[in-house]
Amino acid sequence: MTALRVEALEAGYEPGLPIVRGASLSVESNEIVAVLGPNGAGKSTLIKAIAGLVPISAGRVLLHDREITGRAAHRLPHEGLGFVPQTENVFVNLSIDDNLDLAASILKVPKKRRLGELYALFPDLARQRRLLAGRLSGGQRQMLAVARALVGEPKVLMLDEPSAGLSPKLVGIVFEKLVEVRATGVTIVLVEQNVKAALAIADRAAVLVEGSTRVVGTARELANDPQVAALYLGHHRGDT
Amino acid sequence: MLQLIADGFVIGSVIALGAIGVTLVYSILRFANFAHGELLTWGAYLAWTALLGFAAVWGPMEPLGPFSFGWTLLASLGVAAIATAALALLVDLLLFRQLRRHGSAITLIMASFGAALVLRNLLQFIFGAVPEYYSREIQVAIRLVPRDVLGGLRITPDQLFVLGLTAVSVVGLHLFLTRTTLGKAMRATSINPQLARVTGIDVDRVIRATWIIGAVLAAVAGVFSGLTVQLRPQLGLDLLLPLFAAAILGGIGSVYGAVAGGLIVGLAESLSVPIVGAEYRAATAFIVLIAILLIRPTGLFGERP
Repeated sequence: MTALRVEALEAGYEPGLPIVRGASLSVESNEIVAVLGPNGAGKSTLIKAIAGLVPISAGRVLLHDREITGRAAHRLPHEGLGFVPQTENVFVNLSIDDNLDLAASILKVPKKRRLGELYALFPDLARQRRLLAGRLSGGQRQMLAVARALVGEPKVLMLDEPSAGLSPKLVGIVFEKLVEVRATGVTIVLVEQNVKAALAIADRAAVLVEGSTRVVGTARELANDPQVAALYLGHHRGDT
Repeated sequence: MLQLIADGFVIGSVIALGAIGVTLVYSILRFANFAHGELLTWGAYLAWTALLGFAAVWGPMEPLGPFSFGWTLLASLGVAAIATAALALLVDLLLFRQLRRHGSAITLIMASFGAALVLRNLLQFIFGAVPEYYSREIQVAIRLVPRDVLGGLRITPDQLFVLGLTAVSVVGLHLFLTRTTLGKAMRATSINPQLARVTGIDVDRVIRATWIIGAVLAAVAGVFSGLTVQLRPQLGLDLLLPLFAAAILGGIGSVYGAVAGGLIVGLAESLSVPIVGAEYRAATAFIVLIAILLIRPTGLFGERP
């Protein structure tokens, strides 16, 4: 079943100046799909447009076959779409517990059960639940951002460059956690600059260039595609 | 001495309730609203209008126990709170909401100056410039502390009412912000509006709640000012600088800071009267403000950037 479908989407911050120009994407249930591409390709704008944060001028977005095009950002978590922004993705003045508790209150989910499940998935957070989010390290903060987006039990979780600003070791830890999240039945869409890390956990990937999807394939196909490697992985044909 | 402290707390209560609105609007809508003082004036005059209406139906106001006012003033306060909230929402709909979409913070600030002028002049046009009173009953002050102890303390029942209702309002607001989902959503929006949206918070609803709470407290502060001093069209303008001094002193964006700041400004004004005279008392609030900001630039309860 298709969890998320994006059809010929056009979106941008200013009217008449689309950054995303005809991007299409289809994500099956319980897949991890990476959206890759060079700087300025419109990856973040695409994911923000799906999340309701950037105006959409054309095209459609469907969540489990239900159209959610242009729906207000605050409605989407109630409809099963979770989003983790790239930066400022936790409430820094609130504790870990309060970050999760707030999301549970807003999304009207049973707090005790859901927070228990999330603390079981993120034991590092459980150990310091009273700590202010602003005091967490980069990796822990990213874990909390993911946990916060999972509070409403989303069917689809979208992440905007979760590896940004993290050391390679922490990237590995965060991405392993995403694999665990997928194992709980969540579909994951990942916008990433760190192509190798993303392809290591993704089932499929789409490459976005100048606002439109150019190549879509399995992670293995894309990792071994010399054209993709030359353009987006920083390798050239014949490199060793 | 004790008398000056008590007077300072009464003035501080009015400033604190007004400063809460200033700080809430700043933290959630991200601009300094210089029209907030006018909400105090409108609140005071709308209550007076409602009081006249009640008097026309039920006759002149009968004082309630030791107070100078009767139950009709309490009912008028309720009417004024609702009407002032409606006025704040109307100003937001017609002005600030339009500018929020495209304007910068400075545009909103300048627009708030314009809104203040319109609101003040409209009020003066409707109600006139002559000072008014809710009640002309003469109150007998209660002696709480004998004269030979620190100069003694006498306080009127109306002043006790002001102090009591301020405490109830602040505790009520604290419970609202910490216990209710909407209150928590307001705190979250003040920290990070975009993250609040993707967490599922309807930020437009939060903005409406901010105006309503700020306006209701402004109406209460305006009525308190009218009750303990008098009603005049300059009421809000005269309180505007103390409101901002209190909000900044407490740490702009912090509700508890605004309350503490209001009480400190009120005390500073009151305690300075014997030293510098009544005409310069407003300046002392700013001396305290500068002194506190030199020691703690983010204010008493402000977050470090």
